This record gives sequence, structure tokens and C-alpha cells, in this order.
Amino acid sequence: MKQALSILTVCFLAVHATLVMADPAAGKAVFDKAGCSDCHYTEGPAREKTIEDQLAKKGPELWYAGSKFQRPWLETWLSDPKNIRLLKFNTLDDENPGGHAALSAADATPVADFLMSLTSAEVESGVIKPKSHPKGKLLFKKKMPCSGCHQYVDRKKVLGGLSGPSLVGAGERLNPDWILAYLKNPTVFKPVRAMPVFAGIMSPKDMEFVSSYVATF
Amino acid sequence: MTRVSLILATVLLSASAMPGASASEPKAVFDFYCSQCHGVNGDGKGPNVNADFATDPRNFTKKEEMMKLSDADIRNVILDGGPALSKSALMPPWSKTLTPDEVAGLVKVIREFCQCEGPS
Repeated sequence: MKQALSILTVCFLAVHATLVMADPAAGKAVFDKAGCSDCHYTEGPAREKTIEDQLAKKGPELWYAGSKFQRPWLETWLSDPKNIRLLKFNTLDDENPGGHAALSAADATPVADFLMSLTSAEVESGVIKPKSHPKGKLLFKKKMPCSGCHQYVDRKKVLGGLSGPSLVGAGERLNPDWILAYLKNPTVFKPVRAMPVFAGIMSPKDMEFVSSYVATF
Repeated sequence: MTRVSLILATVLLSASAMPGASASEPKAVFDFYCSQCHGVNGDGKGPNVNADFATDPRNFTKKEEMMKLSDADIRNVILDGGPALSKSALMPPWSKTLTPDEVAGLVKVIREFCQCEGPS
């Protein structure tokens, strides 16, 4: 009992320290100074109204980054960025050359604090758990066109199209609940995007199956 | 004459600022949504089409094939996806994404690729 209490106290202090130390404003200053805001906007709601608006963007919007990404992945990625898109942002014929700016580990932490503070009320927490349900797999691979545009790994082989963001490693990158929220109401996050709206085409339950499956990637 | 030009310029500028005036051209709509698989030239060679792609996206420049499809066939596939014509589910359903005007514009773009009309 005494030991359990000690463990609990240590855990509480660790969480408390993390929360106290997180300083989104400081992270925002680093974000701006590093030039991130030249390509990524961080204040919602979404601004794009037309295809031209979308094509004018230099990089993805980040105003709901805290609802979309998983913190450990984000912090690692900021200091060691790897291509998520196979094609250059907003193009269909240029390979992504890579070379996204990297932050120092010291800067990645406050910037991750800042980005994780940017959340959307549209994302309900605790709904989706990663699960490779046969229905989710069937929908993703056969019944719906997901694999036409998104890469994923199947039996150790990378399959799928190039035009959408890769879903290889999506289980580490994306918040499972955001995947569902995006499937249910993509226009809140991206009013103009090359992915169809599936609300009214897929049932809410099928969206949950697909979200759970993608969260296992 | 100068005054007429000024009025005309004002009218044109006002029109371009009006809501709805920013609707994209049909070819821009095609390039944004369809060329991922069908290619910007409509030849079925979009960037998603690789050796593992489970079907051959329709080549809209094949006149003899496209002549067999009515405008309604094309519209239905755009709206409801490949299964609407017993084709691959890799062709997505766009009914909840595109406006009726955008779909009508896409049918015209596709007809321009094939330089053909459907069966009467």
C-alpha cells in the first residue's frame, strides 16, 4: 500500500511538472522565429474556400495539431523530419525532395508544447482504439478507395498511391480519435482537399472500423 | 471613352470580388480532384497509378471507349464511384464533395479529352 502510494505520488509529480513546464507561448515564439509560420498557419478556423486558396498554401495548416498528432511522434519529427507526403506539397508531379527544416532538440520541445496546445473541439477523446478488425481492413483495402491515394504496409510490403499523405506509421503519428473526426467531418479541418467527403456514404460505424484499422499502421 | 473604361474596370473588379465569382474553372477542378489517378491529360496516368494499382483508371482520350458512355454514365460514376458502373471501388464517390455545377463541368472536360459525345 505504501509502495503504491509512493508510485502514485511520483507519477503525479511527473505529470504535474510536465504540465507546469509546458509553455505554449514560449513555443509559439520559437515557432515564429524559426520561420515555421511562413508556411503553416496556426489559428483556426480553416481559411481556405477555393481550390486556388488551397493551392496557394505552402504547407499544411496546424491549427488543430494538438488534436491530430501524438506528442512523442511530433517532438521527434520536429528535430528529425521525415517525409510524410511522397509528392511535394500541393503538387501531383514533383517528388517530395525532403529537406523540411529541422529544429534543435531544445527548440523541438517548446514548439511541440505549442502545437499540442492547438486543439479542436470537433475531436472527441477516447472513442477509437487501434484494432485490426476485419471489417476495417476490408473497407480500407477493398470497399473504399483509401488505398488509391494513401500508402500503407501490408504483409511487410508498402502499397498504395502517392497523392495523399502516407499512412505508413500513422499509428504513431496520428491521434486515433482525430482520424475518426476527420472522416466524419473533413471540411472543418480542410474545407478544400483532394479526398472525398465520406459522411453520408460510409456509416458512422464503418468510419470507426476504418479509423481503428488505420490507427494500427 | 476614358470614363467608360473606368466604369467598365470598376464593374469588372466588383464582379471578381463577388462571392461565387471565385468558383474554379472546370479544368482546375479536374486537375485538383481527378488527375490524381486520371492524369492532367486525362490519359489514365496519374501519379497514384503504379504496378500495384488494382485497376487501370479510365483513359478519357480513348474515343471509341468513351463514345459508349453517356453523359449520365459519366456523371453517375463521378457521383457514386466506380461501383456505379460495376467498376473498381478505387474510383471514389464524389457526391458529397462536388457541387452539381462542378460535376457538370467535369463531364464537359472529359468530353473534351475524348472529343466525342455519348450515344444518343
